[in-house]
Amino acid sequence: MSAVEYLDLLLKALLLAGVYAAMAVGMTVVYGVMKIVNLAHAGFLMLGAYFALEMFNRFHIDPVLGSVIALPVFFLFGMLVHWVLVRWLPKSDTPTLASLLLMFGFWLVLQNLAYARWGNEDQSILTPLTLSAVHIGDTISIPKVNLVVFAAAVFCMVVLQIVFHRSWFGRSMRALIQNPYASQIVGVDDERTARLTFGLGTAFAGFAGALLGMLYSFSPDFGRPFLLRSFVIIVLGGLESVSGVALGAIVLAILETFSTVIPLPWYWHGWQFYYLPPSYQPVVPFALLVVVLVIMPKGLAGLFNRKWKTA
Amino acid sequence: MTRPSKASSWLKLVLPWLLFAVLLLLPAAHPSDNILRLLFLTAVWTTTGLGWNLIGGMTGQVSFGFAVFFGLGAYTTALLMQYGHNPYFSFIGGAAIAMLASFFIGLPTFRLRGPYFVIATIGVTEAVRVVMNNLDITGGASGYRITETKAFSALEHYYTAIVAAALAILVSTLVANSKFGLALRAIKQDEDAAADLGVNPYTSKLWVHAIAAGLTGIAGGIYARRAAFFYPGDVFAFSTGISILLMPVIGGIGTVWGPVLGGVVFVIVEEQISVKFPNFHLLIYGALLIIIILLEPDGLLGLLRRLFRFLPLRQDKAKLAAAKE
Repeated sequence: MSAVEYLDLLLKALLLAGVYAAMAVGMTVVYGVMKIVNLAHAGFLMLGAYFALEMFNRFHIDPVLGSVIALPVFFLFGMLVHWVLVRWLPKSDTPTLASLLLMFGFWLVLQNLAYARWGNEDQSILTPLTLSAVHIGDTISIPKVNLVVFAAAVFCMVVLQIVFHRSWFGRSMRALIQNPYASQIVGVDDERTARLTFGLGTAFAGFAGALLGMLYSFSPDFGRPFLLRSFVIIVLGGLESVSGVALGAIVLAILETFSTVIPLPWYWHGWQFYYLPPSYQPVVPFALLVVVLVIMPKGLAGLFNRKWKTA
Repeated sequence: MTRPSKASSWLKLVLPWLLFAVLLLLPAAHPSDNILRLLFLTAVWTTTGLGWNLIGGMTGQVSFGFAVFFGLGAYTTALLMQYGHNPYFSFIGGAAIAMLASFFIGLPTFRLRGPYFVIATIGVTEAVRVVMNNLDITGGASGYRITETKAFSALEHYYTAIVAAALAILVSTLVANSKFGLALRAIKQDEDAAADLGVNPYTSKLWVHAIAAGLTGIAGGIYARRAAFFYPGDVFAFSTGISILLMPVIGGIGTVWGPVLGGVVFVIVEEQISVKFPNFHLLIYGALLIIIILLEPDGLLGLLRRLFRFLPLRQDKAKLAAAKE
């Protein structure tokens, strides 16, 4: 492969990383504040994609705009879910069995309601935008939709960062992440902050789902591979800070994109080089997860033991 | 905790044997093939549920990845049988491979606290299914067929499954009543406190995970032998892992008889509802899961216990009243 082709892949990986970051950040804030591994995140991602589809089919709203509309809608939806289900869970410093199973059950419900409503065919959103590309030179061509999606994702991440560091809500969120007891002593309303946080996490899941729906075809089982990727990103990024998520997203996107073009050395009657067959590419995030767990346990222990550096 | 009354402990001792005897003698009543098939399925799923319950219920380490052990059991059994080994030897081979796999998953993840194990189990099922879909010696995604030269005997399959379920109940009871089981429950409640009292959480988790995987592997093998044809999208499916987890949760997590009750409910729901409304049975399971977690965390067994507590409670009140006078 020529250097230009590698550059093309690198650009695509970076664009993918933007969406990955938007996808994982919702899960991170929910974990940070409430210590819940939100398995229903996959369901929210899937609903986001269908939301954009419905907006496009019924009201002819461009899916990019649709994904932005998804933010407030899913914010309210998330607050509702928290009010109806999540707030009854016992509070804990570590994820509990009950919270895992509850969120998992809710994911099953969402997924199967989607099967009932939309069937199990693969859907995709096709607009003039998704079918055209920007050409740089002869070999590099980037679909316009990837650029737009990347811009939208980065914009929302920046907004989140500002909310996180410049508002009362962001401050109470960070306080709860650092120390839930101390923050309650100084007057943080943990119930309200948790509700808003869950809304925020859901809003970002819906938003990212709508963006992903523009890039890939989707079915009600859409969220599962992305749920795993979100886990990998959180674990890689280490902390709940937005920059950590961005870093994790970039690492995952690059490894995934380049996994099939990097020669793997293998010794068998002399050195030989093999390439990972493309059909094995879905294994990459999961293999990465296990590898990270094995070789970086100390750094990761910080993630779930609340030894937060920043925030 | 109150001590169980004499009658109830006697009942607890006799009822399992009675159930076992009835199930063994049932074929004498010439039940229909469908009933035998349903009981076979119940026994197989109960075995997996009991296995999951050891690590997920008693030790408190939720795993979404038991489809890996089920599938590995199925494939190992099939391959061994294809190479001319005795089916029963093949089941044990399936269990051994599943146990080996459990160490591979457990060794890195049990070193860490918190939700790592849960997350890793989801990753492992997904990865294993992708690999099995592409593996040549097992036919990849198109599946694998077991060819047995003997005539198909529904009874033999039935007895195998019943014995496996009985074995799983026996193992669960032994673990629950042993020092090892006590250690597991201590780990579930507070890992640090358990470690202070001389329990090694790491090795305990590894061993109980292996036992659970072995039981699930046997069940996978038994299932595969009767099905005779299976493919990775079936035995390694994420939904298989969900099913295995649902039974103990529905029946009563952490108890010996909860998974059995859950298995019965599971097969009934699966056969009655999934046939009429495909894709809807998971909706029901999801709703059940939410309701159980929020309202009755001890599952159906907890609900039953609550209902049956009324009787002894009244007796106690009568006794109290008598004592006051």
